[in-house]
Amino acid sequence: MTNRYLIALIAAAAGAAASPLVIGRVAESAQTAPQAYTSPRTPYGQPDLQGVWQALNSAAWDIQDHPARLDVPAGQGVVEGNEIPYKAEALAKKQENLKNAATADPLAKCYLPGVPRITYLGYPFQIHQFEKYVVILYEFAHAWRIIYLDGSKHPFGHIDWWLGDSRGRWEGDTLVVDVVHFNDQTWFDRAGNYHSDALHVVERYTRTGPNHLRYEATIEDPKVFTRPWKMSMPIYRRMEPNAQVLEYECYAYLGDEKYPTSPIPR
Amino acid sequence: MGRGLDINGVSVDTRRYPMNRCKWFCTLPIAALGMLWSPAPVPVAAQFSAPASGKIAGCPWEPTQFYPCALAKAKTFNPPRTPDGKPNLQGIWDKSANDIEEHNEPFELTGTYPGPTLIVDPPDGKVPYQPWAFEQRKVNRERYIAPKAECLLPSPSQHQYMTYSYQIFQNPESVLIVHEHVHSYRSIPISDRPHLGKDIKLFLGDPRGRWDGNTLVIDTRNVNARNWIDRAGNFYSPEAHLVERFTLIDPDVILYEVTIDDPNVYTRPWKMAMSLARIKEKGFELGEESCHEGNRSRDTLLEQGLKPYPGYMPPK
Repeated sequence: MTNRYLIALIAAAAGAAASPLVIGRVAESAQTAPQAYTSPRTPYGQPDLQGVWQALNSAAWDIQDHPARLDVPAGQGVVEGNEIPYKAEALAKKQENLKNAATADPLAKCYLPGVPRITYLGYPFQIHQFEKYVVILYEFAHAWRIIYLDGSKHPFGHIDWWLGDSRGRWEGDTLVVDVVHFNDQTWFDRAGNYHSDALHVVERYTRTGPNHLRYEATIEDPKVFTRPWKMSMPIYRRMEPNAQVLEYECYAYLGDEKYPTSPIPR
Repeated sequence: MGRGLDINGVSVDTRRYPMNRCKWFCTLPIAALGMLWSPAPVPVAAQFSAPASGKIAGCPWEPTQFYPCALAKAKTFNPPRTPDGKPNLQGIWDKSANDIEEHNEPFELTGTYPGPTLIVDPPDGKVPYQPWAFEQRKVNRERYIAPKAECLLPSPSQHQYMTYSYQIFQNPESVLIVHEHVHSYRSIPISDRPHLGKDIKLFLGDPRGRWDGNTLVIDTRNVNARNWIDRAGNFYSPEAHLVERFTLIDPDVILYEVTIDDPNVYTRPWKMAMSLARIKEKGFELGEESCHEGNRSRDTLLEQGLKPYPGYMPPK
């Protein structure tokens, strides 16, 4: 099993295991009281979502409830109601994906992870806000998303993009992002949950406290699912005073065995 | 979307082809094809070359002549400003240069066309390599795949002058440079906090930004030196120190300067200077260049006997 992108998750899980009560309590308050907190504002008067954030859950392995397996601790899912409404033939494909996940997962080839998977992959990301844009910078593969807040529409398509095309708007204190123009190459997790190029994601980012966001993603894909479904989770601010998104250029290390790189002098 | 595809690590500047003037509709089939493209010879982006007028912001276009003229203009030009009073560099910018020294022969493997040197200091326009490093550059050209052709991130400065568009965002805390190439970014805190610990080396280094009058200064250390400074084998070490300066000299032209110091490789610090041009096409947005995901060039270059560049190797 390749563990390139699991190391951070294992570390995160270890952190969670060390203080389950604290994490559980925070998660609960973030889940149940999204309206109780009024977000501070940016200089442009928009709710301030800026900072370095990270998900802390087991969704990167499996977005549904799951027992433990090698390198994967048991985990509670993030899908509301836990059920993903696959069409019958699509469920068979999901099972096939799961069986072959070690090699068939697009992340095993270090491809861009798609949306919403990149949010809960277990790597930090930084949200920056500007008058007409929200820019999200992800540590994984230096991926970025520009979310246009200028009222523009999605470009004419279909376009096969790994991270789709994101257009946003504010609904009260919530940033709502409409994402389309996906390819059919990405999965939702390491358990083979997948979609087609008809995927339509609506994300909602809401501050629930000084150091928490609530993240929701509604998934619609009539080629694969019988109805839309939703996942949600809290996202945590990285509290280190020197928190900084660094890098993980996954693909840069794929060829290492045959062509070793020079050690960097220390 | 400027360029929908990257094939063989060589970009096709679709924006410079008339068909791309209709933006999305016309470029989409190209974007789709990019995923499937075979490694056949492709047209190379227009190399750094003279504009039709021969002038950029009223200055001669050729970098060594452009530089003193641009420095003079920078002294008098009052740039547009952000709400916090800083020069407003925001927008989408463009540059095209694959070999930083003067080169008169096409170099097919790296996709370079003849072009002038970008080096304004030393005056001979050459990188002041130590003797062993000059030999190493030859080895790099003969033996190794240009890291960019493997979709590795370029050096921080190369990101600003290679053939791709990028968008600059500013707020009081940071400057972001979001690049089409390899779908990557540079996030520059406006901060004097110390650089990362010396054992953290990164493809794009660890930048710190500050304002010097009307100039954005980016100080970068902690590079991993697995990439090059261009596509023609010019290299540095993990001890390199880069100081970049971005100054508006016209509403649509930035004077870009970068000084590179690296006692492991060079005999003295040296400097490049060039213009960056604003893309003024209405509605122009950055696209997604999923370079690694669509890369077919690595295997071809390996078959040709080239090897991946292993990163900086100290002299034996």
